[in-house]
Amino acid sequence: MSLRGRHNSTNMLVETASFLVVRLGGSYVALPADGVRGVLTQAEAGNEQAVTAAGTVYQPVDLAQRLSVVANLSSLEMRTVLYSTDRSHGAIRVEQVVGLTDVERKDCLPLPPQFQRDERNWFGGMMLYQDQLVLILNPSWALGELADVIPVSVGQAEQVVAATTAAVGGSC
Amino acid sequence: MLRAAHGQQHAQATKRSWNVVVFSVGGMKLAARTEDVGGVSPWTESIPVPSRTPFVQSMLKRDNHVMPVYYLATRLSRKLTGSPLLCLVARQLDGPMAICIDADVPSLETVDATAIRPNDRGDIETLGSVTIGENDVAIVELQRLGRSRQDAVRSSEY
Repeated sequence: MSLRGRHNSTNMLVETASFLVVRLGGSYVALPADGVRGVLTQAEAGNEQAVTAAGTVYQPVDLAQRLSVVANLSSLEMRTVLYSTDRSHGAIRVEQVVGLTDVERKDCLPLPPQFQRDERNWFGGMMLYQDQLVLILNPSWALGELADVIPVSVGQAEQVVAATTAAVGGSC
Repeated sequence: MLRAAHGQQHAQATKRSWNVVVFSVGGMKLAARTEDVGGVSPWTESIPVPSRTPFVQSMLKRDNHVMPVYYLATRLSRKLTGSPLLCLVARQLDGPMAICIDADVPSLETVDATAIRPNDRGDIETLGSVTIGENDVAIVELQRLGRSRQDAVRSSEY
């Protein structure tokens, strides 16, 4: 692992959530840390698409392609994040692992309502980290457990907002 | 960051007149009700956000606050002009939304409500049009930007 450092909250009484912050192109994305099973270099991940670690097979996840983000995944800082939910295991290639952080839940913000379409499925919210805007990834969507929803009208978009907020479970 | 228009000091704020902010997008003069405008400031670099919402694909960070950006110029197929560009903040029920506009400093105008004509332009939501100087100026309904069916129609071409 090559993390840039862990930033902890000093007040242990506040409710926090832990995230692994990664970068894909110009977008910073936070993965809930409880699902992170490992971070591998290119050499450690090997050339196979799927990665097997501790007896678990992690299927490849092309997150950049799913988010329509242009990312340079051939740089030395590229890493493969092994990630698990209750139902799925994925090997997510990212351009850079930026760091691990604990965030007070009050500092996790919802995506502004003006974002009305699939992105409400993709992200559970957002936060600021080292002065950067970071989007909180919905792991269930990233690992293919949720289908994209493409609303065709404003009314339907509002329904999607309500539905995905319930599905993702809040900002963090 | 607004320039007072000639005669504006004498305008009476009555129900028969509207106070509007006149701004420019790609050289096209547009107006918005002053109560729908949260402010005008220099534009700063926006942060890209993966998104499929038409014309809403980045955010602007100001201190510890962020707001979505609406690409009005793209929607109107216009290229912003001048430098430095400006940020007009639209007040919406969902929260503020930033719009990048030309470098021309917006002006305040008072228009007679009876001079506002309905218009049928389909490219943007308006409250009507009014003649200001020699320009026919559409009054943009900022509250509805990004919320109407027209966005969906235009996005198919986007």
